[in-house]
Amino acid sequence: MSALIIPCYIRTEWDLSCLRRLLDSVFAQTKPFEKVYVVDDASPLKYDIGQFAIEHVVLDRNGGPARARNVAINKALQAGYAHLLFTDHDCILDREWNTRMVAFLDSSDFAAVGGMTYSWGKTLLDRYHDLNGTLAGKWLLPDRKELWYMPSLNFGLKAFAAEEFPFDERFPTAAGEDVDLCLRLRSKYRIGFCPEAKLWHDYGYKNSFTSFPRFLKLFQKYKSSSATLYEGHTVLMWDSSESIYEGNIR
Amino acid sequence: MSLIYRLKQSQPNFTHGIQDYLGEIIPFSQRVKNPLLKVPMVALKSLEWAIYRWHKTPIRRFYGIKSNELIYMITNACNDKCPKCGIWERPEPKEQHLRIQHFIRCLTRLHHNLYQVTLTGGEPLLFKRDVMLIAEEAKKLNVPMVTITNGRMVDEAFLARYKELGHILVISIDSVSREKWNEFRGTKSFDIVMPKIMLARDILGDQLRVQSVLSRESAEEIPKVVAWCKEHGIQHNTQLYQDFGAKNWSNLVTHQQMVNDGTPCAARKNICIYPNGDVVKCFDHRRIPLAKQPLGNIGEQDIIEILCTKRSTEVSKIMKTCNFPCKAMSCNKPQVLLFK
Repeated sequence: MSALIIPCYIRTEWDLSCLRRLLDSVFAQTKPFEKVYVVDDASPLKYDIGQFAIEHVVLDRNGGPARARNVAINKALQAGYAHLLFTDHDCILDREWNTRMVAFLDSSDFAAVGGMTYSWGKTLLDRYHDLNGTLAGKWLLPDRKELWYMPSLNFGLKAFAAEEFPFDERFPTAAGEDVDLCLRLRSKYRIGFCPEAKLWHDYGYKNSFTSFPRFLKLFQKYKSSSATLYEGHTVLMWDSSESIYEGNIR
Repeated sequence: MSLIYRLKQSQPNFTHGIQDYLGEIIPFSQRVKNPLLKVPMVALKSLEWAIYRWHKTPIRRFYGIKSNELIYMITNACNDKCPKCGIWERPEPKEQHLRIQHFIRCLTRLHHNLYQVTLTGGEPLLFKRDVMLIAEEAKKLNVPMVTITNGRMVDEAFLARYKELGHILVISIDSVSREKWNEFRGTKSFDIVMPKIMLARDILGDQLRVQSVLSRESAEEIPKVVAWCKEHGIQHNTQLYQDFGAKNWSNLVTHQQMVNDGTPCAARKNICIYPNGDVVKCFDHRRIPLAKQPLGNIGEQDIIEILCTKRSTEVSKIMKTCNFPCKAMSCNKPQVLLFK
């Protein structure tokens, strides 16, 4: 029994087309989700997703993705789903994604799981993210048997872990709230890695030159959430991790 | 353990930046197999590094991420005289001892960022009243606490309240035989402490832990301690011997083995307070030239102000590539890996 949670903040037609593309991949799963929650975080663009099988929750004020996810987590927990899976509106799921994530959680003692994330685009910048492992999670060193952190775009939690460790709603944007959750979660549980659970993330680069400012803004955003890093407040165990890429996947 | 003040070496210089840059770039460049992509990929990585280093963000520093451990060496004084440890030989003068209110204020200021507060020494329970004040405050602030003790001064009232507060007590044991115990402690404390450990186990249950120091001298004893803990259902952790100035014990493993374990130092997460209130990022701070001087003193300055100084930032960055034997200590290991 798995529920998929998709927080979204739709500002442009491109965002909306991303969401529709994601939902197409959601409904093409070999193993369907029992429930899909799309939580709209008070988007400026009004839209209709036109899917009856989805619970479309529209929040009355913008509170960030952490709050949006928590709203859906509470609903999913009340409904009794065993596994809560998370992705973002600009992702595309592999057809086997749900099957693999659920099988991994069912067959292991990990309380959480992360899958393998690839870039959707083909520009040099996309290639960089694949090599850098920007959104692909981090191994906990030295053993590389569990994850130090997994971004919430390709993430799953067992219900008891989601109940115990909700997202921290003090994070105002989609940056850092997933790191925070993983750090807290790891104080008690372990996060596993399932490389077969693949999805693609669309960074929105049209080409390597015109999209360069977008590339810079992405890291500026991440820096804003991890200002603690270089300001004397280091994130727990930051140094004992290694970002995942194709070359260290196993 | 007082630090030597060397102002000239306290200023950051460009070599620290280069060290940080190479620490990021070299492992990344090894990922790029296509020679045509080497230059553009390294250029992009350099940009990312530069953004993380220099980009100023309006959202500053404190998000409430529970990522730091606050470690308070409450005193150098001890009622044991362990040959493995030289800290007890240098008890701080009474007038230099930090007032407890200053530490409580520090804890309160940082609590949103703390996953744990740890009390160590010397023997923390020589200041049992202060320990309990901190324990009560930590409970109010929802910060888990760990106290590391030799167990001599625990009593039923202390344990009962400590249990209620939900904190962890770690008792240091390097032998379970009377003769070796008394030799390792430098005092005849075996018959005093052993009954107290059993009392602590009965009252604290899973909140009691035992930690041992593995050295050439204790090597034969540690397996017996492990077996004893297993028999009594107490979680145990072994820590490698570190030189704290006593120089009477020796390492069982070589320096190379201690530094070549593939795990980088994580002590940047730590905020350490000396008995006089001096703040460092690691009690072995003095190994780093830039950090021979403490970052500040919580008796005189606000802790957040201290941690936000440029030198604090630079010291954290340098610690990213620290590779000293002290990284094998418990304070640098993820909590989930301890006491397994």
